[in-house]
Amino acid sequence: MVWMETAGVASIIIVIVGLPLLLWYWQAVFSLRKYPAGSKVIDLTAVAQGGIWTQDRVAGYNYWWKTPARTPDIQLNQGEHVVVRLHSPDVLHSFSIPLMHIQPVDMPAGHTEDVEFDATRPGELTFLCYQVCGPDHHSLLGRFQVKGNGKSENDKESW
Amino acid sequence: MATSELKVLQPEPFKQEEVPWRFDIFARWPWMKRLVRMRSFQFLLILPNLAMFYFFLMTAVFGTPVGNRNIIIVFVWILWWVVLIAALVPLGSRIWCTMCPLPFFGDWLQRRAVIRVRSGKSPGTENKFFGLQKRWPKKLSNIWMQNFGFLFLATFSALLVTRPMVSMVLFAFMIVLAAGMGLVYRLRTFCNYVCPISGFLSLYSMTSTIELRHVSNDECLKCKTKSCIRGSDKGWACPWGVYMGKLDRNNYCGLCFECVKSCPNDNISLFARPFATSDVLLHGYDEVWKACIMLVLALSYSVVLLSPWGQFKNWANVTEMHNWGGFAAYAFGQALLALVIFPGIYYLTIRLAKWYAKADNVPTKELFLKYAYMLVPMGLLAWIAFSVPLIMVNGSYIISVVSDPMGWGMNLFGTADFPWTPFKPDWVPFVQVPILLIGLYYGLKGLHKVGRGLFSDPVQLRRSLLPPAALLLGVTFVFLKLFIG
Repeated sequence: MVWMETAGVASIIIVIVGLPLLLWYWQAVFSLRKYPAGSKVIDLTAVAQGGIWTQDRVAGYNYWWKTPARTPDIQLNQGEHVVVRLHSPDVLHSFSIPLMHIQPVDMPAGHTEDVEFDATRPGELTFLCYQVCGPDHHSLLGRFQVKGNGKSENDKESW
Repeated sequence: MATSELKVLQPEPFKQEEVPWRFDIFARWPWMKRLVRMRSFQFLLILPNLAMFYFFLMTAVFGTPVGNRNIIIVFVWILWWVVLIAALVPLGSRIWCTMCPLPFFGDWLQRRAVIRVRSGKSPGTENKFFGLQKRWPKKLSNIWMQNFGFLFLATFSALLVTRPMVSMVLFAFMIVLAAGMGLVYRLRTFCNYVCPISGFLSLYSMTSTIELRHVSNDECLKCKTKSCIRGSDKGWACPWGVYMGKLDRNNYCGLCFECVKSCPNDNISLFARPFATSDVLLHGYDEVWKACIMLVLALSYSVVLLSPWGQFKNWANVTEMHNWGGFAAYAFGQALLALVIFPGIYYLTIRLAKWYAKADNVPTKELFLKYAYMLVPMGLLAWIAFSVPLIMVNGSYIISVVSDPMGWGMNLFGTADFPWTPFKPDWVPFVQVPILLIGLYYGLKGLHKVGRGLFSDPVQLRRSLLPPAALLLGVTFVFLKLFIG
């Protein structure tokens, strides 16, 4: 009976400690494995109220009381493979980088959508929401700054 | 003459009729008895539930705030609710309480054990319990707190069923409260008197097709140890404070099966029985009001969530619409209807029944308490009918959310992008109507059974049944009007 009790208590501890660890492992390690090695992974969340693109995590614990920080220009290096993980915590948004000919990608609320591209040339890339998502829709603009590496012919051409 | 007058004025003793059939499940399948007698039985049911529940709490905190993409909302308020109300309660009585993770930590603190039994002495038991072991106040030994608690939660249901964090805060609060009460009070006071879920489970478990009862009354009368309520080295004292020798209703039996383990005479068994036929007596005003509140809330939910009158939904959804005046009207109106107007209508119906049947020999209070049973099967089936569109219209969220429970972009089973696909929404009323009519049938049947126990004169019986039966028909009509227009 003592071993059974010990096993019972141990199983509870495993659950209480193991589940958060499992989730952390999935988020920090496992979920990144599906992208090509060396990719720069950026989490971008579109928030309708205020028209904000943010790199802050917008989750259950902070959504209702905290206004996330608007992302500053996102720095990329020329030649990098970029994965943008798009999140929407409220309504349907969409994501597009017109200069890259990345057509609007729908971002349904609560889903995560991936967009991948190669930053082949230096310059500025504006991204924006193409779905009228609320009164602040017009503010949903952001920018990637691609820094040249000085090794390619493309250095001379910017976007 | 004098004798006959005396006969009329004396209340007739209530005659509980025998149930049509009863089937001893443990005698037929002894392996089930061996299973529930295992010390680890309840723990093995709770553990996966606890893990799942804990995961849900984490998804509420760290997952997406979008309700229909977060597993806590979809699994608890769509899947769990529908399974609970439409299957577990009618078929398994309070089997949910067997596996409920909410009081687990309270039990653990109180027993300092998760599986084994501790022999010893604590007030009124043969087990060693820890904590202050205080008695729960007698004035609060009823389900009024559960009634008000459920009504309060129902008022904020628009928040509860759409905001993962609100659900999380509620469940976390309940776990902490149950643990705290376990440390201060004896046994499961939280489940018995506070838990709002337990309140409606207790009421609707009366209709269930199973019951845990003693096999032989004589054995209980001869029993010296009363191990079912006092505990023994084989099982804990009944956490619900129930003595099996007198148990004749499912209401306050949480199906923990400790009595099956502790009974020295092997005199407790699980029985199958017909639906909504055996436990037909409500014992107090708290239970009658519970029946009224539940029926009114089924109606109110149907109006707010399913009806074409969007104004009510806007009033209930105060955090998005910010219409505090509308919300106050909705909350006050719902409470007034559940606590005053509907019970008042029921009371007037009973007065009318008493007057029409010339039933001076039956006190109004007795008639009020006993005839209220008709609201129990009606209420349960009304809730099931209300839940039909939940699963048929929104059930497809389960398929997508199971693959991506937190909205993080997981795709565990390849169904994360499964679109919202209502299942035959045009069939919903055709499913709801028969369910409601079944509720009406069992409500009337129960009413008739209770009436037969009160009145031996068929004319008096018929007259006493007419007004409450008309009320039940009226309630059914209102639901039908809501469901099919």
